[in-house]
Amino acid sequence: MLLRFALAGSRTDTIRVVLTGLSAALATLAVLAALTVLAIPTVLDGGRNVSPQYRNPLIAEAGLRVGVAATLVLLTIPVLVLAGQCARFGAPARDRRLAAFRMAGAGPRQAVVIAATEAALASGLGALAGLGIYLVGRQVLGSPGPDGKLALPTDVLPPVWQLAVVVAGIPVLAGLIAMLLLRRVVLTPYGVVRRVRTRPPRPWAGLLILGGLGTAALLAPLTRYLLRSGRSLPYDLFGLAVLVAALAVTVGTITGTGWIAHVTGRLLHRFARRPAGLLAARRLMADPWTGSRTLAALLAAVLFAAIASGVRIRMSTEFAADAEYWRRDAERTGEPYIPQDTTFYEGAHDLVYLALTVALVIAAGGLLVALAESIVSRRRELAALVATGVPRAVLGRALAWQTLTPAVAGIVLAAVTGITLQRSLYGGEVRSNWGTVCGASTTDCVVLPPIVRTAPLPLGDLAGFVGVALAVVLTLLLVSLLLLRTSTAVEELRTA
Amino acid sequence: MSFLGTRAAVKSYGPTPALRGVTVDVAEGEILAVTGPSGCGKSTLLHCLAGIMPVDAGEVFYRGRRIDTTSEEERARLRRTEFGVLFQFGQLVAELTAAENVALPLLLAGARRRDARTAALAWLDRLGVADLADQRPGTMSGGQQQRCALARALVTEPRVLFADEPTGALDTLAGEQVLGQLVRLAREQRTTVVLVTHDARVAGYADREVTLRDGVVDPTGLGIAAVRR
Repeated sequence: MLLRFALAGSRTDTIRVVLTGLSAALATLAVLAALTVLAIPTVLDGGRNVSPQYRNPLIAEAGLRVGVAATLVLLTIPVLVLAGQCARFGAPARDRRLAAFRMAGAGPRQAVVIAATEAALASGLGALAGLGIYLVGRQVLGSPGPDGKLALPTDVLPPVWQLAVVVAGIPVLAGLIAMLLLRRVVLTPYGVVRRVRTRPPRPWAGLLILGGLGTAALLAPLTRYLLRSGRSLPYDLFGLAVLVAALAVTVGTITGTGWIAHVTGRLLHRFARRPAGLLAARRLMADPWTGSRTLAALLAAVLFAAIASGVRIRMSTEFAADAEYWRRDAERTGEPYIPQDTTFYEGAHDLVYLALTVALVIAAGGLLVALAESIVSRRRELAALVATGVPRAVLGRALAWQTLTPAVAGIVLAAVTGITLQRSLYGGEVRSNWGTVCGASTTDCVVLPPIVRTAPLPLGDLAGFVGVALAVVLTLLLVSLLLLRTSTAVEELRTA
Repeated sequence: MSFLGTRAAVKSYGPTPALRGVTVDVAEGEILAVTGPSGCGKSTLLHCLAGIMPVDAGEVFYRGRRIDTTSEEERARLRRTEFGVLFQFGQLVAELTAAENVALPLLLAGARRRDARTAALAWLDRLGVADLADQRPGTMSGGQQQRCALARALVTEPRVLFADEPTGALDTLAGEQVLGQLVRLAREQRTTVVLVTHDARVAGYADREVTLRDGVVDPTGLGIAAVRR
């Protein structure tokens, strides 16, 4: 019976169920892929743990596989954000249904359980679909190439208990998230009351960003001090510090966007002369968190992309410095200079960029759902405004202001914070190898100093990521403007 | 040709007919109540008269000009400048204050923000809710919200006010107050009012009543207010 209640809904409920199932399927695929990578058996070859049956070194080298698995798990973050956005889709219709359940005698807890069951069931179906795609994918992509090697680890299956935990765990997680999202909602027989945060955001997010950047900036001098004093580096502690710093700047950037949205709203309200600006300003002030919530995954993707572009340009500079050093070394020794093959590392960075692009696309999905929801949930109000003569263009411009203001500010903040974090951790200066190089005789030795270079700022890559993120927001905005047209049809006055 | 009206107006929602050849005339300065049971086509008639919705067949005219053949932009301009529209609920922008909601039509018409606010405050004062000027709709009662909505509908001093069940969501006392103010202000400004209601008490405020049944005008002329009298 609970199942029947959970799935009894309107068209928007069906869309929400489908979207939730889709995000659960994506999350299942990402986690199963990570588990598969971790389950690859290795053989010892020349002192290295390798799996020679794979073509891609990122999978073949055991040392690199943890990073691949971590990237795959990180991909579930935008997927989970997408799931969160889906859970909000069609909320007014679901709220009315839940209120009807309360009217029919269901207690507040029972109504919440019904909503959570809906999310869990949809996610369960999605997780099963994800498992199905995974198992079919193994068969379809399982044949080796002409070199006899596999492109993907399709010959490995994680233990069955791990598969079961993923397929059962994702629906449970989805149910718990749904209950968490309903924590500010009071379900009564007469309707649904949302407890909203009325206090404007404070600039504390800035402290989080500064704290994260400060922690990162301390690590480099601390490392130098420990090495100089002959002590060993506490790698675990340093790893934890980097993680905390990254988390602090990410949370700071996302919540900081809420504060920026509020401040921008206030400024816009002060100086706006036309209705579109006024409407957008008041909406930004009334709920500045909407912007940061909907943009969270996109901002996180931009932030990590900025870090990745900083790491990449630093590595390229390092390779260039090393190449220069070895060229001088070859000149000195008279041996031929053989340039180092860096294609593997560049390939690895290409894969990171690919993963970030996938994260951007998934984040775009979440953003589209959020934008659609913001229009659909207020379609009666919008239709009434159009009926009283407010041109749709004014509502469109208000939506554009309201969407682009936090987006532009947040994306720029994420890019700047990301690159600053990377620079704080590694610094801008790179040094090549150095050592004593001898010529024809052992008496003809000199110390070849290291080549010191400064890694430039990755302005091109940064501009590319910022541009792609803004293009994504702009495209989705245009799509949502089409939805605005149908949502302001006069029929909404009768049916909404 | 009268000030405002329809000739043989037909409107359907898919296979369901809402208006089946309705002819209505409204004189300038008149307060007309459109009454009838639920689903008889009252709101549809109001939407067609206000140019919110086009008719499928027939004519809609205003001041000697057909408005059913004009573009959506032109009809929207008409609603912004010549007409005021008042619904049952859900028409105020939740994030704007009462004064900003009332000022909105003036801003759309190109007024300066300060001037629009001054006019909005004056209208809120006339409707007895000046103290709510800086409050948002969510913190007001239904009656207070409806008075703000009435102020917004009248702030451009429209020639015609369309009111669709304006007191339908209010208790008796609040409903009487809103309606009393609506009628008083309309008479003061000689505003023509088309009032859709199924409530005999509300219809009793009108100069004349037109009753619809199953999408056509009741030929007996016996409206609910007339029966009540």
